[in-house]
Amino acid sequence: MPIIQVKDLHKKFKSLEVLKGISTEIHRGEVVVVIGPSGSGKSTFLRCLNFLETPTSGQIFFNGEEIIPNKNLNVIRQEMGMVFQRFNLFPHMKVIDNVTLAPMKVRGLAEAEAIERAYTLLDKVGLRDKADSYPEQLSGGQQQRVAIARALAMQPQVMLFDEPTSALDPEMIGDVLDVMKELAKEGMTMVVVTHEMGFAREVGDRVFFLDQGLLLEENTPAQLFTNPQHPRTKEFLSKVL
Amino acid sequence: MDFDWQVAWNSVPFLLQGAWLTIQLTTIAVFFGIILGTITALLRLTKSPFKYLAIAYTDFMRGTPLLVQIFIIYYGFPPLIQRPIPAYIAAVIALSLNSGAYVAEIIRSGIQSIEIGQTEAALSLGLTYRQTMRHIILPQAFKRVIPPLGNEFIALLKDSSLVSVIALEELVRKAQIVIGRNFRPFETYFVVAIMFLIMTVSISQLVSYLERRLKVGE
Repeated sequence: MPIIQVKDLHKKFKSLEVLKGISTEIHRGEVVVVIGPSGSGKSTFLRCLNFLETPTSGQIFFNGEEIIPNKNLNVIRQEMGMVFQRFNLFPHMKVIDNVTLAPMKVRGLAEAEAIERAYTLLDKVGLRDKADSYPEQLSGGQQQRVAIARALAMQPQVMLFDEPTSALDPEMIGDVLDVMKELAKEGMTMVVVTHEMGFAREVGDRVFFLDQGLLLEENTPAQLFTNPQHPRTKEFLSKVL
Repeated sequence: MDFDWQVAWNSVPFLLQGAWLTIQLTTIAVFFGIILGTITALLRLTKSPFKYLAIAYTDFMRGTPLLVQIFIIYYGFPPLIQRPIPAYIAAVIALSLNSGAYVAEIIRSGIQSIEIGQTEAALSLGLTYRQTMRHIILPQAFKRVIPPLGNEFIALLKDSSLVSVIALEELVRKAQIVIGRNFRPFETYFVVAIMFLIMTVSISQLVSYLERRLKVGE
């Protein structure tokens, strides 16, 4: 059974149809990289997976269970970590509190346990020494790595990444990508919207090419990058590679 | 007629009693105003039918004079509930209700000024709407609205002089009593003005202190 199944997903903002019927499956342990020109709907697609955008029509299934707001959405969101382009750390809390908040309030973890888990994760992203800093005292790359640790602290089954390196200075991007590569190596199921083609090629198990609200092509990176089938894919790749 | 410092000085102890009542009334009204204002702001941002109750409340309180509100509570309600309302209680109710409406608008704007990304991050972690408000949005919103809240409380302190019309002996009412005895309005009101000034400046100082202390993490 796929961990995420998308059936005929449509999303309209007023009269603008951003997603025009997307169906696909994502399997456990897979790293899916979503690429496409800006305005193609790739971020909207990702945000529909955990209902930060409510689909206009269509269904999303998580482990075979259809996501329905006011029924199971909240519980399923606990299983889908998300990392945002603009980090969205909680500025009024120290790094450590950012990471322990959800495990304690949502999962009901004891404080000591939550703190221990947080330090393990901060170690993993190389920021143990920043535990008592406030987000504003960190660089963008550090903030994003804390954001990854914060999402991982819930021990989710899937991680969603929404252009995680787009707001970063070039020299910060590598650190964040390294953390993501490490996660992928550990077998985390990941859906990554990105413009980092190197990452897509190196880490992706499958690459989705979205254009004008449609999933035009999906394939292994080796196939998609060297032998794109759709003319739009060819055109896009010729510009970004 | 010269300014008589001795007269001014002599009025101070009696006026201080009034100032103390002014401080009491304002502090109590601020306390209830914040609670009422927060609840009203949260209701306004929901989709429940209570939203319209909250809108009606803020519109009424902001759209009618405080003086009229005081009269309605002090003179209007007793016949309805068939018992008198003590002036002190009526004043506290009127000032709290009035302040709550203004505070509600301030807090609502504070909540709406917090980036949507904060809510999204909290929800994506599995926090409920209620937890998101409580742990993420409100703490940041309160911090942001401290300056406008300070202004509101300075306004409330000054407006509290209106309760002198229901014979509550706060600062202005006390001054009228003093003038009835010493026939020196200029000196007496001068002292009253200074006392108000000391109180309002203290509030602004307190507000800037809070602002500085809470700056961490902004």
